[in-house]
Amino acid sequence: MRCTDIYIHPSLLGQGLMVRISFDGVTGMEYWANYSMTAIFFLLGLALPAAAFTVGRWLRPHHPSAAKIITYESGVDPFGDSRVQFHVRYYLFALLFVIFDVETVFLYPWAVAYDTLRQDVGLFVLVEMLIFVLFLFIGLIYAWKKKVLEWK
Amino acid sequence: MQWNGEFLAFFLLSVMAIGGAVFMIHFTRVVHMVLALAFTFLSIAGIYVLLHAEFVAAVQVLIYTGAVSILMLFGIMLTKHRTSDHSDSRSRHQLLSFVGVAAFFGVIMWVIYHTPFSGGKAETAKYTVANLGEWVFKQYVIPFELTSVLLLAALVGAVILAKKERDA
Amino acid sequence: MQAWMWLGPVIMLFVVLGFVTLAILFERKVIGWMQSRIGPNRVGPWGLFQTVADVLKLLLKEDIVPQKADETLFKLAPVIAFVPAFAVVAVLPFTDSLVFADIGVGLLYFIAISSITTIGILAGGWASNNKYALIGAMRSAAQMISYEIPLVMALVGVIMAAGTLNLSGIVEAQKEMWFIVPQFIGFVVFFIASLAELNRTPFDLPEAESELVAGYHVEYSGFRFAFFMLAEYVYVFAMSALTTVLFLGGWNPLFGFTFLPPLIWFLLKFSLIVFTLIWIRATLPRIRVDQLMQLGWKVLLPLALFNIFLSALLKEIPGIGSYY
Repeated sequence: MRCTDIYIHPSLLGQGLMVRISFDGVTGMEYWANYSMTAIFFLLGLALPAAAFTVGRWLRPHHPSAAKIITYESGVDPFGDSRVQFHVRYYLFALLFVIFDVETVFLYPWAVAYDTLRQDVGLFVLVEMLIFVLFLFIGLIYAWKKKVLEWK
Repeated sequence: MQWNGEFLAFFLLSVMAIGGAVFMIHFTRVVHMVLALAFTFLSIAGIYVLLHAEFVAAVQVLIYTGAVSILMLFGIMLTKHRTSDHSDSRSRHQLLSFVGVAAFFGVIMWVIYHTPFSGGKAETAKYTVANLGEWVFKQYVIPFELTSVLLLAALVGAVILAKKERDA
Repeated sequence: MQAWMWLGPVIMLFVVLGFVTLAILFERKVIGWMQSRIGPNRVGPWGLFQTVADVLKLLLKEDIVPQKADETLFKLAPVIAFVPAFAVVAVLPFTDSLVFADIGVGLLYFIAISSITTIGILAGGWASNNKYALIGAMRSAAQMISYEIPLVMALVGVIMAAGTLNLSGIVEAQKEMWFIVPQFIGFVVFFIASLAELNRTPFDLPEAESELVAGYHVEYSGFRFAFFMLAEYVYVFAMSALTTVLFLGGWNPLFGFTFLPPLIWFLLKFSLIVFTLIWIRATLPRIRVDQLMQLGWKVLLPLALFNIFLSALLKEIPGIGSYY
């Protein structure tokens, strides 16, 4: 475990200044304090729209009319159904996205542990990732050659 | 059982996860179902945080909430998604499902109560991304490389499907 | 969770809202200056209250829900888009003492949470039940997911050099050398991809007002529209801060000029990034949709992957290896 820094946490200012020691693994009370903080940010993110829409309801006018609530289509009466079927290429890009996202899940811990692994197993650490990325790159080249990465 | 912040958080997150799942079954429009499912995924990430598995939690949000939900939404957009799904309410059908679910629930509860959980606390200080990386890339190299083959197969399959669709 | 813990985040919320108010004015002023115009100058001195007036106007606008729209989802979508935008601010380290949630996987948290906004945009476009909105939402989502990949891949080099996903740790690792120098390729890929993630010019296709009317938020009015816009500008804040943290050394001073406090250094670099974003908007035209996808998958992604192995190889070279 590596001591990264010693600092004063702003959230602790209310309790008087407290100096905390933060560790790389962030354990114990640290861990809970930090994740409670992310939870608070989520709750505040929900509270702002809730408050704004409530205040807005008191202030804004509300006079819906048939013409007002019609679907906007550049001033022409809307025709057909708006929920059209999309081209398959959208789905293909989503699939590519999921596959490469999974790749990053492996790349990130590898990058974090790189220096340690480099000392322990030598350049094999590079080779194993090279093989992994190469396989996916072959897939990308394949998609490229089959012209599915084109957007017409 | 102690009533502390951790337990309260676990309780809330569980209710959110189960609530999302119940809504997912209850909704009739597919887009709503996907969003309910995404909410469940997010709540489960919260439970991972409670277990000190922060990397798994982040990955859960990145892959499931962020990527798989989008994939499902894009999949829905490929179909005629204007209609909503009206499930048939045949009583015999429902009864059969209920018996099946009840049996499954019974089995799961039985397994949970009969599994000997070894006591002792996990060393959460060891749950760092660096340690995770070391384990994966030292001890599990072969499964890791096989994953890339699996991903390649998925990618090639997707391309072939898309090609077929376009030619048709 | 005690009451005092809320104080910092609430202050931060107002700081972010203040930033958005000023950034919109600043953007209009700077673009005006670049196009030899004056920009807003009527409301308050130097047009200072222009955005405030705009926000108040939006607050007083009628909230119209189209007849064919999916009402619940239509109302919920701006919230889904906004919440992650503010939640990512929690992990940003402004100085070594000013960080709200110093979590071990800070960088991954940022990327993961910010990807939820795509769902909000898709939900908004779909719930509107409008052709322009749905096409805009789908385009927007396709763009955001396509550029998320090069964005995350470009950061692998930074993580290798820092050896941690903790954002404070990444800044600490830049004491001697900012990552923009050794990780220049990574920086370029990251910056271009972040422009696309922010839906900013030259990647503002989802909101191409000349072809899609306004994209996914065409049916939105009043404050619901405001929340989509707010989410966008909060992301400008978060992404500029993240760029500062990852590549410009965060609060570390340049040339050892320590007479300025760390927070000022952070703000200087942060403002530089924000200015560059505006500058690019005034300079570059919008790119075409086919070019957009080609650039992401055929140029940026291979470049980001190349950067990973280049960084790994440069680590082996004595002398400069310590910077990688």
